[in-house]
Amino acid sequence: MRRTSILIGVLAAALSLALPAAGRETADPGVSGNSILIGGTTPLSGVASAYASVARGAEAYFKYVNARGGVNGRRIQYKYLDDGYNPSTTVQQTRQLVQQDRVFAIFNSLGTEHNLAIREYLNTVRVPQIFVASGARTFGTGFRKFPWTIGYQPSYYGEAIIYGKWIRANRKNARIAIIYQNDDYGKELIAGLRKGLGRMQNRIVATQGYEVTATDVQSQVARLKTSNANTFMVFGTPRYAIQSFIYANRLGWKPLMFVNSVSSASNIMEIASDAGNNPRVRGAISIQFLKDPTDSTQWRGDAGMKLYRSIMKRYLPRGNANDVYHVYAMASAHTFVEALRRAGRNPTRSGVMAQLAKLNSKNPFTIPGVTIRTGRVDRFPIEQVQLTRWTVNRRGDGRWVRFGPLQRTPG
Amino acid sequence: MRPSNRVLLGLGLRALGVIAFVVAIAILPRFLSDFRASEFARVGIFFIALVGLNILTGYTGQISLGHGAFMAVGGYVSALLILGRPGLEASQLEAPDWLPVGDGMQDVWTIPIAALVAGVFGFFVGLPALRLRGLYLALVTFALAVSMPIILREPETLTGGTNGLNLFGTTEDRLTGAIDNSVHIPVLDKDLTFNDWTYYLAWTIGLIGLALAWLLLRGRPGRAFRAIRDSEVAATSSGVSLASYKTLAFAISAAYAGAAGALLTIVSTIVTPGSFPVFLSIQLLIGVVIAGLGSLVGLILGALFLYYLPVGIQELAEVGSLPDGLQDAAKSPGMPAVIYGVVLIVVLFLLPRGAAGFLSKVSFPLTKRL
Amino acid sequence: MAEFLQQVVIGLASGSIYGLLALALVLIHRATGVINFAQGEMAMFSTYIAWQLVQWGFPYWLAFAATLLLSFAGGLALQRVVIRPVESAPVLTVVIVTLGLLLVFNGLATWLWSGEVRTFPPNRPFPTKTIEIGSVVINAQDIGIILVTFGLVAALWAFFKFTKAGLALRAAALYPDSSRLVGIRVGWMLGIGWGLAAALGAVSGMFTAAAFPPLEPTMMQAVLIYAFAAAVLGGIDSPGGAVLGGLALGVFLNLVGTYADDLQDAGFPIDLEGLRLPVAFVFILALLLVRPQGLFGRAAARRV
Repeated sequence: MRRTSILIGVLAAALSLALPAAGRETADPGVSGNSILIGGTTPLSGVASAYASVARGAEAYFKYVNARGGVNGRRIQYKYLDDGYNPSTTVQQTRQLVQQDRVFAIFNSLGTEHNLAIREYLNTVRVPQIFVASGARTFGTGFRKFPWTIGYQPSYYGEAIIYGKWIRANRKNARIAIIYQNDDYGKELIAGLRKGLGRMQNRIVATQGYEVTATDVQSQVARLKTSNANTFMVFGTPRYAIQSFIYANRLGWKPLMFVNSVSSASNIMEIASDAGNNPRVRGAISIQFLKDPTDSTQWRGDAGMKLYRSIMKRYLPRGNANDVYHVYAMASAHTFVEALRRAGRNPTRSGVMAQLAKLNSKNPFTIPGVTIRTGRVDRFPIEQVQLTRWTVNRRGDGRWVRFGPLQRTPG
Repeated sequence: MRPSNRVLLGLGLRALGVIAFVVAIAILPRFLSDFRASEFARVGIFFIALVGLNILTGYTGQISLGHGAFMAVGGYVSALLILGRPGLEASQLEAPDWLPVGDGMQDVWTIPIAALVAGVFGFFVGLPALRLRGLYLALVTFALAVSMPIILREPETLTGGTNGLNLFGTTEDRLTGAIDNSVHIPVLDKDLTFNDWTYYLAWTIGLIGLALAWLLLRGRPGRAFRAIRDSEVAATSSGVSLASYKTLAFAISAAYAGAAGALLTIVSTIVTPGSFPVFLSIQLLIGVVIAGLGSLVGLILGALFLYYLPVGIQELAEVGSLPDGLQDAAKSPGMPAVIYGVVLIVVLFLLPRGAAGFLSKVSFPLTKRL
Repeated sequence: MAEFLQQVVIGLASGSIYGLLALALVLIHRATGVINFAQGEMAMFSTYIAWQLVQWGFPYWLAFAATLLLSFAGGLALQRVVIRPVESAPVLTVVIVTLGLLLVFNGLATWLWSGEVRTFPPNRPFPTKTIEIGSVVINAQDIGIILVTFGLVAALWAFFKFTKAGLALRAAALYPDSSRLVGIRVGWMLGIGWGLAAALGAVSGMFTAAAFPPLEPTMMQAVLIYAFAAAVLGGIDSPGGAVLGGLALGVFLNLVGTYADDLQDAGFPIDLEGLRLPVAFVFILALLLVRPQGLFGRAAARRV
């Protein structure tokens, strides 16, 4: 009795969803005649709310696409829910999106453990988990077990390999100190660095972890300084990266500094430069794969950045256009739109996943030369990056200057 | 009306109320979508934790800013037992030899064990409460809430670090979502969807917990608890053993939180340190105050408040009739917190003694008139 | 030895920041008997106001002074508008109202200024020159912050001890009814207590942004946890105790982190490096068990 009533309810729900798309029995949930509904989670409240830009930027891009007719005649509706950066809430919100709102796909949900918490569920119910907003390696390497999941950005692991290789080739006398966030993100970066250093691994002379409940990392930096390292890797989030630069200077330590791309936006470097009083930022090295929105000289005439600024102005006027997370979000949304377009007039979940497994396109928001590419055994859409160096001119203004060739970040 | 009749009438009304409450809970899922049942399961989890916290804070007068930590203990105990050694191994983790995690256990039976372990833990946390009061106790419990996520993360090979433990594989058939698969309940010989199953599980435990709390509070321990709350000196001089009853209140209260944590783990199919942030402990205290200290009636409202306020704020962004600016504001970073805070403050202005205080104010003249 | 001294110096600098916010907590607790959980977020909000003023072209010290005044007025208004309606409610209700304020201020700052990191006037309020003594590096800014903190404690002590207003404030908090009889406007005194605490908080916020950059909406949340611990450690009603509690906590946290490795090498089974905060709490608990009223608190006589 109970079961039949459920069945009837489900049937009714399925029917009501199918009706607007009459004539296409194969339509997946979320797809109607004139729109397609996708969803995701993001922290709008709590400690991580600065990352909300990753959802807001994508939303702005979809609004722009919708204003120009949408994708194959369908408007993209993007519903993102606040999970307060709590994985247990991520699970509940994702269930709401799948079971109640019946989204076509989960897109751009943010956070490593948050996406891990829903990955198995989404793969079991065969709902695509598209462009996970985390650099954890597993979202790119796990596709055999989790074919419905795909990441987007280069992995932390691959990024750190590049630093390691560069040090091996160019800094034979390196003595390396590391400050890292004491979680999987920090540890993955360290693992990548070791891999890239190869036989120079023993040059890592000191490591110090910090907790996200720490007010400051001055004690850790002072500790690292005693190791007499001449190379200082900063594997932390913006707050602690800024502090690492500033405290290194205040403690009179003069290493060459590397900063992971999570924390290398120009506005962060400018804060770290302490209004030009901190020489530690000079020559600091990072990687880059997105165009830097604060670099107005380099991208003045660039069509992609013009588009970016016009979308920000029109669809996210309260947002800060210098926030590189918005650029990331638009890059990710752009690639999604591309895959959706290629999935044809009647997109299905499996059809979109098939497109995502054979991407080969340019993106207006990534640095020149980067191709968004995936393949049968490659689920890292962005895996080309370029090393970049913080260069300060005579007036004391700094900017990132890319050097060397584009490099592949090995998954 | 003669007083004895009034007492009888009161009892009868109360019994009727209880029956109506139980029936309402039993049939509620018939009127809800399958997903709503999962929401009410989470309301039930809050409810269980609030019943426990109210025994400690409402009845015994001991503040706890750390009940999320007890939930975390229950949540991890439950997850470790469900996985067992084989499950941990499958996740590339391992338990030290001395730790009795077993070989995998059915989820339901881990709940009482989680409650027990959390209760024992609560007993030990209660020991400092013998010497500390007020803000000093608040700090100690708050420190527990802050430290617990860090402590749980540290033995990485056992607890999975920041990524925590994933139970999905072990209960897979239950989770394939509300639609195709279902959970078989052997006792009733019935099949339920996962969401309905979690709903009934949470509320069965919630009702049992409520009944136990009621029995406890109307008996000798309840009188002792209230005596301690009203005046410790007076309680001692009338023969109440402060040491035993205070620690008892902590242990029982923590056991409820442990059961709630175990349920949260089962419902979420994962457990991570981030599932038990400091804010969870704060939320529970908010829930108890909104419900009204020292009353069991208001707790359901407290639990509904805790779950549905954030959800409701998000729904604001979806309401079609609102002007665009307001809709956009509701999903701007920061705005959900502002609305939450303002609603919380306004509710407390209107109900300074919580829902229970309001109810008693309303119902008092009513029974008096009878 | 040099490393030990270096860590102590750094710890004192951090500790004075905790102590400053703890002072504000103590002030409100003395006046109204509650812990104001919104204190950290109010301080953060004040700092954003200062930042905004500087953005608008105010010179640093003018912005600093204006922020103090605005914060004082804001704190006073908060007490009158938000706290007074629940004054007669149970203490826990007031505590929850302050938690509500915490959410409001945090959300409002995020909404108004975005969650992005900012730089608050760098190299202010003190020069960041470093002084080297042997191999120990001391920052001029840290010395400045420590001196101001002690100065504020002394000023508060003198204010409560020697001024009429201070006396009235204390009287209003301790004996509201008798105070009313002698003509003290108790309500306003409580409001002034909140105002002073908010202004003190503003100082702590602006110093925090300088000592623990950058400025962002979450910057005071961890500081509040340490300040709460420091205030309780010092004995919740003692301004001097709060500051000393903060200094002790700052030094202790650093030493745990620094010597965790050595401890492990010496056979201790657990790596405490990641656990410095829980370890500090265990020590505070142990101290409190010996002295339940905190280091400098007076044991209150219990009313029957």
